[in-house]
Amino acid sequence: MVISSQLLAADFSELGDKVFPSDVVEICGFRINDSVISGFIVVAAILLVALILRLTVIRRWKTTPTPAQMFLEWLVSFFDKSADEMTENYSGLMGPYTFGAAAYICCGVLIEAFGLRPAIADIGACFALALCTFLFIHTFGFMKNKVRRFTHYLNPINIITDISVPVSMTFRLFGSILSGMIIMDMIYILIEGIWYIGLPLILPAVLTPVFTLFHAFIQSYVFASLTLTFVQEAIETPPRKQKKKKKKAEATIAA
Amino acid sequence: MELLVTMLANLLITDGAAIGAGIAALTGLGAGIGMGIATGKAVEATARQPEAVGKIRTMLLLGLAFAETTAIYGLLVSILLIFVAA
Repeated sequence: MVISSQLLAADFSELGDKVFPSDVVEICGFRINDSVISGFIVVAAILLVALILRLTVIRRWKTTPTPAQMFLEWLVSFFDKSADEMTENYSGLMGPYTFGAAAYICCGVLIEAFGLRPAIADIGACFALALCTFLFIHTFGFMKNKVRRFTHYLNPINIITDISVPVSMTFRLFGSILSGMIIMDMIYILIEGIWYIGLPLILPAVLTPVFTLFHAFIQSYVFASLTLTFVQEAIETPPRKQKKKKKKAEATIAA
Repeated sequence: MELLVTMLANLLITDGAAIGAGIAALTGLGAGIGMGIATGKAVEATARQPEAVGKIRTMLLLGLAFAETTAIYGLLVSILLIFVAA
């Protein structure tokens, strides 16, 4: 009975403000919310870690690898290998780009564990990432196929397909991160009134990996592999019309 | 009868956004069926050809991401209805 009355007493009126924050800070004429600040913190942290790794681990590169070196090699070659497989000539650019985007998404979500608003739970951040992918897809598509790529647009439904790519990538990322954040915020509000020994300490620690950790890794992997798939699709050379002639020739031979 | 219509109209006016949010959450139905079929097929394919498990896993994750997108659209619509429209 005690529990049910406590659950009913929980006040969810703050939840709406957390989902769509109304408290915006104005810096240099830009109206920004907490997500932007945590995004800058994430970028600074990633740069700092990269610099430290560059100065410590990579300087002492050995032929008999240390655990840190093995981990770094695995991480980099994981993205480089899949970029090599899918985007042959452009893997030099696509490998680092997917690695960078995945690192930003992963760390931007995991910053929630420190009590800040996740950097990806802001539609602007998701749209920026999706727009980068969109630019890569079409730049490489036109670089590889040149004018022949315009034949792809003779079928007008392809225009809509191409425009929907950044939109769907934006909302996939935004929706999944936001849903994880809402569930965690709801749990924080619910356990606020419960004072059983240890429960407010243990419950978030158990539930955070379920709602935040898996989302972070899965969404960054999905973003990277979707980018590679779309680029692979764009740099595919369209089939030429010679095949028909061959078939005709075969038919005449057979006849 | 007239009372029922009035009640229904009142309900739609006051709680229309909440009902809409509930209906929007039904997108999970289609996404769940689709993801279930995809996973089942992937298990079948792995059982038939265990050496191709790496490629199957990659394709399965991509397909699941696409199927999940529809469910996320429904979720976003219901969140917007709850927190913005209400």
